[in-house]
Amino acid sequence: MSNQHNRSRRRFLQAVACAVGGGCSGLIGSGFARAGAATLISKPIPSSNERIPVIGLGSSRTFNVGNDPRGLDNVAEVMRHFFSAGGTMIDSSPMYGSSQPAIGYGLEKLGKTKTVFSADKVWTWDHDAGPAQMEQSRQYWQVDAFDLMQVHNLVSWEQHLKTLYRMKQQGRIRYVGITTSHGRSHEELEHIMETESLDFVQFSYNILDREVEARLLPLAAKRGIAVIVNRPFQRGELIDALKHKPLPDWAKTIDCKGWPQFLLKFVASHPAVTCAIPATSQAAHVQENMAAAFSPLPDQAMRVRMIDYVEKIL
Amino acid sequence: MGGLASYRLSDFILFSETAYYRQFELYNQAIWPLHLLATLFSLLIGYALWKKPAWGGRVVSGLLVVSWCWVAWAFLYQRFNQIHVVADMYALGFVLQAGCLAWYGVIKNRLALVAASRPGIVVGAGVLFIALLIYPFIALITGRGWLQFEMFALAPDPTVLATLAILLVYKAPKILFVIPVIWAIVSGMTLLVM
Repeated sequence: MSNQHNRSRRRFLQAVACAVGGGCSGLIGSGFARAGAATLISKPIPSSNERIPVIGLGSSRTFNVGNDPRGLDNVAEVMRHFFSAGGTMIDSSPMYGSSQPAIGYGLEKLGKTKTVFSADKVWTWDHDAGPAQMEQSRQYWQVDAFDLMQVHNLVSWEQHLKTLYRMKQQGRIRYVGITTSHGRSHEELEHIMETESLDFVQFSYNILDREVEARLLPLAAKRGIAVIVNRPFQRGELIDALKHKPLPDWAKTIDCKGWPQFLLKFVASHPAVTCAIPATSQAAHVQENMAAAFSPLPDQAMRVRMIDYVEKIL
Repeated sequence: MGGLASYRLSDFILFSETAYYRQFELYNQAIWPLHLLATLFSLLIGYALWKKPAWGGRVVSGLLVVSWCWVAWAFLYQRFNQIHVVADMYALGFVLQAGCLAWYGVIKNRLALVAASRPGIVVGAGVLFIALLIYPFIALITGRGWLQFEMFALAPDPTVLATLAILLVYKAPKILFVIPVIWAIVSGMTLLVM
């Protein structure tokens, strides 16, 4: 409990320092979001006003390396670059094989078990097994407690959410969330967002898959739910499709040096999106991804232009 | 409500190609010199199919039983399970196949007769050649490095392929084809999705 309190306090002070610095609003105005040249853009979690960087780190596939020493060191290296760039949120799940122990290895090696914004999931159809699974996950991560615990892919969500609310009340987690991906179960998710007291929701969103813009993103904004976006690159397929296409000249006006930044800026600039969590196994890609959070985000007119351009060349 | 039906195969392939093939590299390093024993298995099977001795069917079945059990335990359960959430189920399937091979091949001696049809023998011999002699070199040919090689009796794909070939050569009960065919589909799709 006291550890959590200290972490919250530290984050609050960081947020105040950031606000005083004046460069990390991340808000969309007419034109570009204001951001200092070297200031990380962050957005507030509506339920607490705690700010988190608009780019986090996913771990699906990329961190699942088993007990391969080389793979584990590579995960730690990716995490080192992520933290060095100011990143805080790492997201995982029991479904991602050995990703959780790999994250724990990296956190321990980098001395970041106290400062990471830890986001994990509960993924079991047996709701009685939920608490034991979450405790196992916590031990893998080697953290005192998770910041955010989400119900993975709506699995047994009624029962798991009850458990998560209780854990939040007891101070064992700070935020409660629910996730889906690949555009699945949006109607059910909408119902859950309307009826439950969620801090976070997570779903897929990218420049081509924009179904969530119609209902889920506006609903999240209305209900004060923070939004984590998974698959901002369509699991790498968007990057593969675009990597040989020319980046438009006007992308320079929002400091885009490559397609990953272009795609991430599009996602992160939606007013209802709190952060995106691209996954990668390469340190260079982390640096590239994080750079998207250090320069202006596109406004609505620019976002429309981005969509038009990508749809035209693909 | 997040039921299993809402998942696709790709949802369960949550490891990269690099991580997958690194498992073979680490595995090969860990089990050396069992590769010599696996080579002996291959030679014995080749000899039994060539010379057709009376003991051939039983011995070949016995070698397959040992191979399927070993792959189930040492690779699928001990190693692949680290990165694949359903690898323990795969291991169970391999043990089941070992049981079937033991029952029909070793106990009932149902792999005693060589297939009458020439196509069966030709196709079987061709597939066996690939499984035993070509498969170990695929890692090298595709530029993954020779340490990531997959070998009959030690790795799942060449073991399954060799088993299918042997079943084609012998007049094997059809039930023995079920799990190898399922594996061939699952593994093929995994390699495709990965």
